Amino acid sequence: MLEVLGLALGYGATPVLEGVDLKVGEGEFVSLVGPSGSGKSTLLRAVAGLLRPLGGEIRREFPMEALGFLFQEDALLPWRTARENVALGLRIRGMPKGKALEEAEAWLGRLGLSGLGDRYPHQLSGGQRKRVALAQVLALRPRLLLMDEPFSSLDAILRTQITRDLLAQVEGEGIAVLLVTHDLEEALALSDRVYLLSKGPRARIAQVYPVPFPRPRDPVAVKADPRFGPLFRRLWQDLEEVSLCAAP
Amino acid sequence: MRRALSLFALLLLWEALAALGLVNPLYAPPPHQVLLTLWDLFATGEVWPHLQATFTAALLGLFWGILLGGALGLLAAFSPFFSDLLEPVMLLLNAIPRVILAPLFVIWLGIGLASKVALSLVLVVVLIFFAVYGGVKEVDPRLLERVRTLGGGRYWLLREVYLPSLTAWVLSSLKVAVGFAFTGAVVGEFVAASRGLGYLLSFAQSTYNARLSLALVALVVLFVLLLFHLFGRLEARLLRWRPKAQGGF
Repeated sequence: MLEVLGLALGYGATPVLEGVDLKVGEGEFVSLVGPSGSGKSTLLRAVAGLLRPLGGEIRREFPMEALGFLFQEDALLPWRTARENVALGLRIRGMPKGKALEEAEAWLGRLGLSGLGDRYPHQLSGGQRKRVALAQVLALRPRLLLMDEPFSSLDAILRTQITRDLLAQVEGEGIAVLLVTHDLEEALALSDRVYLLSKGPRARIAQVYPVPFPRPRDPVAVKADPRFGPLFRRLWQDLEEVSLCAAP
Repeated sequence: MRRALSLFALLLLWEALAALGLVNPLYAPPPHQVLLTLWDLFATGEVWPHLQATFTAALLGLFWGILLGGALGLLAAFSPFFSDLLEPVMLLLNAIPRVILAPLFVIWLGIGLASKVALSLVLVVVLIFFAVYGGVKEVDPRLLERVRTLGGGRYWLLREVYLPSLTAWVLSSLKVAVGFAFTGAVVGEFVAASRGLGYLLSFAQSTYNARLSLALVALVVLFVLLLFHLFGRLEARLLRWRPKAQGGF
C-alpha cells in the first residue's frame, strides 16, 4: 500500500538519504532502524507529505486522509481537554461536535482512559498523554500509521503496556504501520519486517530482515521465542557495523 | 496582606505627622481630609459626569485599541507586505512617548470625547500590536504541525492554535493596557477638556488644591485596581488549562 522507490531526501544540496527503496503492505508492521543522523525521521516526514523529495518516488495507494502520524513529543493542545483533543481530528474531517465528542470518549475508553476525558493535558501523566495522542490518531481510522519513536519518553513498564495496547488495536483493525525506532528489541518484537539504514549523509537501506513470529503477537512473550536471540544479535552486529563505517 | 498592612501603616504615620503639625496640610493634607473630599465628591454628585467622561474615553480606547492592535498584529504576522508596512510605524510609535500626540489630537478632533479616545487608543494599539505580532512567532511549532497532520488548514490553525496561544500573550499585556488606556484618557483631558477626571485634576492644580488632587489620584487608583481584579478573574477563566492560575495583580 506504500512503496518508496529510489528516494532521495535532504534539506540542502547534499542528500541525507539517497536511493532508498521500501515497502509496506496492507496491514503490515514495518520498522526502520539505523544510526542517529541516518535520516529515519526525515524519511517518515517525506512519507507524511511534510517534506518534498529531491528525487525518486513515493507511491501511496490510499488518500492522504488515511494516513495517521504520531510524533515523538507530546503535541496535545494544552487548552483543550483530553476528549476535545481526541475529537479535534474528527471535527476537522467535518464530523459534528456532539458526535465527535461521543466518538472521542469511546476511543478514550478503548485505550484505558475512561473518566479522564475532562482533564487538561497538564493534569495527565506522560503515559496518559501518549494514550490520548494515540487515541487522537486511531479515531481517524487510518490505514497506515507513521510513528517516530512515539514512546521513547516513557519508562519501560509504561512503554511495554502502551505498546501492547497499540499492537492489539493495530492487529484488530488491520492498520499498516511504519515505525521509526532506535530500540532494536522493540523493532523485532512488533514488526513483520525491519529495515536497517546506513549512516548518513547519503544513507541508504543497508539490510532488510523478515521477522518470522506469528500474529496475533504478544510483544513480551515473543522475546522467549528461540529465533528471537539470534535475530537480535545479527541486527545488533549489523547496526554496529554501519554505525562505524563512513558513508560510501 | 502584609503589603496592605504596610500601606495602612504609612497612612497612619502621615496622619500622625499632620496631627503633630509636622507637615503643611496645604501641600500634604492628611488622609482623613482626602477621604472627606472624596466623600464630598460623591455626596454632591459632582464627580459622576467626570467619572463617566473618563471611563467612556478609557474603555472605548481600550476596546478599540485591543481590537485594532490585535487585527494589525495578525495582519503583520501573516503577511510580509503588511509587516513591512506596519512594523516601522509601530516601532516609531513605540519609541516616542505617545502622550506628546495629545495636543495634535485636540487640534484634529476637538476638545470632546474623540480626542481622548484617540490618545488612549494609540497608547493601547502599539502595546497590543507587539503582543500579538510577537505572540504569533512564539506559537509552538509542534502544535501547528500536529493540527496540520490531522488535516487542519488555516481556519483550524487559527482557531485551535494561534488564537488560544495568543490569548495568553495578550492577557498578560492587558493589565498594562488598562493603565495605558486611563493614562490616555486623563492626559487628554488634562490638555483640553470640559469634563473628566483629568479636567478636575487640572482644575485642582490651578487652584492649588492638593486635597482634591490626592482624592482624584486615589479615585483613579481604586478604579484601576478594580479593573485589574476583573481582568485577573477573566484571565483565570480563560487560562484555566494552565498548570497554575496566576490570579491577582
